[in-house]
Amino acid sequence: MKKQVLFLSLLALLAVFVVALPIAAQDPTPTPMPVPSATPALGSFGQGGTQISFVNGLSGSDGVTLNGMIEQFVQENPDISVQTETIVWDTMYQRLQASLVAGDAPDVVVMHVWALPQYASIGGLLPLNDWIGTGEGQIDPANFTPLALENASFGGTIYGLPLDFHGFGTYVNNDLFEAAGLDPSQPPQTYEEYVEMATALTLDANGNNPDDPNFDPTNVVQWGTTTSWMRVVFLSALAQNGGRNISDDGTTVQIDTEAGRAALQAMYDLIYTHRVAPPPAGFDNWQSFAAGRIGIMPEGSWFRNFATIDNPQLNWTPWPMVPLGEEPAVWMSSHLFAVPVTTTGAQLEAVRRFVTWLSDNNIAWADSGQIPARLDAQAALAPETYPSNIQFAEAFNAHGVYDYPALGWPEMVARLDAELDAVLNGQKSVEQGLADAQQQMQEILARTG
Amino acid sequence: MGQLSTPSDAGLIDINRQGSARRVRLSLKTRESLMAYIFLAPFLFFFFVFVLRSVVFGGWISLHRWPILAPDKGYVAFNNYVSLMNDSLWWTALQNTVVFAALTVAGTTVLSLLAALALNRPLPGQSFFRILFYMPSLLSVSVVAIAWSWLLNTDFGIINYGLQLLGLPKVNWTGDANLVLITLSLVTIWWGFGFPTLVFLAGLRGIPEPLYEAAKIDGAGGWALFWYITLPLLRPTLLFVTVTGFISHFQVFGQPYLMTNQGGPGRASFTVIMYIFQTAWRFFNLGYASAMALTLAAILMILTLIQFRFGGRRVEY
Amino acid sequence: MATIPTTGRSMAAGRGGQILGNVIFFAILLIVALLIIFPIVMMALQSFQTNQTLYRWPPTVITTEPTLVNWQNLLTRDDLRLPRWIFNSVFVATTQTVVVLFVASLAAYAFARLNFPLKTPLFFLLLLTVMIPQQVLLIPNYLTLRDVGLLGTYGSLIWPGVANVFAVFLLRQFFQSIPRDLEEAAILDGASRFGVYWRIVLPLSVSALVALGIFVFLANWNDLFWPLIVTTDLDMRTLPVGLSILNGTYGPQERGLVLAGALFSTIPVLIVYTIFQRWILKGVSITGGLGGR
Repeated sequence: MKKQVLFLSLLALLAVFVVALPIAAQDPTPTPMPVPSATPALGSFGQGGTQISFVNGLSGSDGVTLNGMIEQFVQENPDISVQTETIVWDTMYQRLQASLVAGDAPDVVVMHVWALPQYASIGGLLPLNDWIGTGEGQIDPANFTPLALENASFGGTIYGLPLDFHGFGTYVNNDLFEAAGLDPSQPPQTYEEYVEMATALTLDANGNNPDDPNFDPTNVVQWGTTTSWMRVVFLSALAQNGGRNISDDGTTVQIDTEAGRAALQAMYDLIYTHRVAPPPAGFDNWQSFAAGRIGIMPEGSWFRNFATIDNPQLNWTPWPMVPLGEEPAVWMSSHLFAVPVTTTGAQLEAVRRFVTWLSDNNIAWADSGQIPARLDAQAALAPETYPSNIQFAEAFNAHGVYDYPALGWPEMVARLDAELDAVLNGQKSVEQGLADAQQQMQEILARTG
Repeated sequence: MGQLSTPSDAGLIDINRQGSARRVRLSLKTRESLMAYIFLAPFLFFFFVFVLRSVVFGGWISLHRWPILAPDKGYVAFNNYVSLMNDSLWWTALQNTVVFAALTVAGTTVLSLLAALALNRPLPGQSFFRILFYMPSLLSVSVVAIAWSWLLNTDFGIINYGLQLLGLPKVNWTGDANLVLITLSLVTIWWGFGFPTLVFLAGLRGIPEPLYEAAKIDGAGGWALFWYITLPLLRPTLLFVTVTGFISHFQVFGQPYLMTNQGGPGRASFTVIMYIFQTAWRFFNLGYASAMALTLAAILMILTLIQFRFGGRRVEY
Repeated sequence: MATIPTTGRSMAAGRGGQILGNVIFFAILLIVALLIIFPIVMMALQSFQTNQTLYRWPPTVITTEPTLVNWQNLLTRDDLRLPRWIFNSVFVATTQTVVVLFVASLAAYAFARLNFPLKTPLFFLLLLTVMIPQQVLLIPNYLTLRDVGLLGTYGSLIWPGVANVFAVFLLRQFFQSIPRDLEEAAILDGASRFGVYWRIVLPLSVSALVALGIFVFLANWNDLFWPLIVTTDLDMRTLPVGLSILNGTYGPQERGLVLAGALFSTIPVLIVYTIFQRWILKGVSITGGLGGR
């Protein structure tokens, strides 16, 4: 018995010690970090008798915007109630597929352009052609760019109604620019200018730039730029170098090409030659930008709310893109409303009203940071509230590049991601990585058609 | 046979009195067989529907191009298997899985053997430790992943803070391609070492005390006792722990799915089961996924046989 | 003859070594114990913090301003179905365990005690399939469940695991170790086969059944893969899947909430374990022992 008491007190003592050690050494002024806001996973809107279920992956602050729109919708349409389920995209797609197989799919979903062929090709989605037209109760196709509608289609049939354009823009930190004696309102026109700017913005702990012989690359406190989301920066750069992911006839992957190598080399050099961007593994772009440790950050249109709402202290300017090649081009995509084939009757009618209403009130979606897909909504954006939306919209309309809508693209992307990751973390050469990606992607393309 | 009351049965017995004894014996045997199959019926039903039929069906699927919802299920013979052999991602996943399983089994075996040896000594608090050591096994993989991801977080994790206090640099536990499998392996060891510990403890208690006494009289020290008595006699237990451990860790899914953003960085923690999951439930390709699953099954069987071959020699007492 | 003094010396050294060994092994036990407690204690402490204090460097272990907001959210917020997920997990795992034990023990009894045609081939067939990993069966079983319209129901989480060959082997082995005398006496007294199985064999096998039951329960309780693919409705998710969604959706945004959820979900298991730990540990040793022999 004595032994037990002795033992237990010893254990307690050790536990206290383990916990107390970090507390004793606590820094008196810890630095808190901002985190982006989240959308509740489940929502219930309205009391109407016709209930529709709506599943989407907009789990960040964009979902909050969407839920605000739904709230408005049910007020104006008291006979309809909406049940939302908002889960991260990956889980959402897996859930959508499983529920299509099981035959209990939701009434309406939001999906990406790249996912549409997968679901349309297996007959999982309802054709929406008669929702769009110039007739009564239809949505005028003149409200969309031809490219937007084309990318909402599969095999000539429209399966999706575009909610937005989203894609990659660039955010720059004005304070860092001013400290480096640069003007944030003058985006670089060439890769050389970009590197020059980024060099001036990169600082090690002693305040040296990468072109200083005393520069310490192991102790960088401020990065000029970043390779950010590697895949879409690469796809943007590919287009800037005159390339495209898949040939126009849909038979050949064109990653391991002159343009592909130039694009990836430009990204690689930012990290390892010019030393103005961090190796990507484990580097948190959002937090670093918020903490004022990145000068120029290519990032998605969806970054806006994190920059404005969660980090009001940030003083930033949007750029349409950074030059990683000769021609202006930037990766973009769309969120689409799509209706599973299992939706019928009163539900289908309600879904149609719901989606049409969200489209007609598309401008509200700009609060999410994305660009409303409707041209009339784009034209109505207030410049002082939505500077990034307007800048990015111009770039997307003029130079936006969608993913080639191949059936196997999601599977190919998984391979491409891994190879880019390996190259940009210094595990493979640019040539090797692209050759490997090309071979795997071509195989998938051949298999999936 | 008291229930035989129908006229025809009674008549049968009456008419054929001579055969009656044999008939009764026969029907006893038949009744036992019938009884046995009644006992077996529920199990056999599930076994047939969810195991036997599924194995055959799985093999059949693997010979097809089988998109989950589309109607065209083209027969492709062994094309899926051929593709698999040429699929660099498959080999990467396999390599990761082997490394992970080997690390985890080795670590678990060493730790649990140590723990069992310690628990087998007359030390205070034995039962408390025993209860505690098995506790992590009760946690679901999601809980384990949530708890450890946060402790191991590069920027805000308490473990990196501890390292910093010791004057060491921050470690990117799950973001470093060279480290991530080791990290997952350590977490898995933490999660699952309790069961082998108890198994080893049972094994240790089964070793007859006189063997140690005799060896001690011969002047054997602690190491010698362990090396020449404990370890050889534990061989069947060791084999059980490593074989079952290897099979279960080879099928790792939850840890990389939850802790490394689905197998990252790059493909550094992408495992075979994750690949099967993605292929079947993200990319709709059931044929290819089935081919992977069956190949995995073959690999596991071969590995098990090898382990038995090298570790399973009978132990002479 | 010269061994006597040697033995004396070695025994003295042995006693010293014994004490040293005890100290070392006790230290090992303590360290391992702390490593086990540490993550759980941290989870508990940090579940009382908001993101404001969690996303900080250096990390906050014990905050000066603890908050209950995570726990309140966890229990009251409409989109968190933690109680439902816990119920699903407990219900599914318990039902499957009971069914497996019943079905497998019936089959095991037939194999252990009864003679019937095709007994040996059948047993051999089972032996062959025990080596097949679950992964092979997932896709066909998924399609089977779709065809019978069970996807997304409790049934889809329970039935595929019922054909547990390992359980049959284990119980058969155990039943064979029970002396036949009792059963034969009962049969002479006019008991039916089922009566013998139900009234004599099962009560004698409680320890093995408990042991096996724990394994079946835990395997189901911990499974992430299968429920992830067969359930879609948020209300039908099991705890591991629900927590993984919670983690994916709220991970970065509401870390404290996720930690509280993870901790909360372990409470029922820990309570059951604390109450039945004697049984559970005994059962584990039995199963491990049977396997290890």
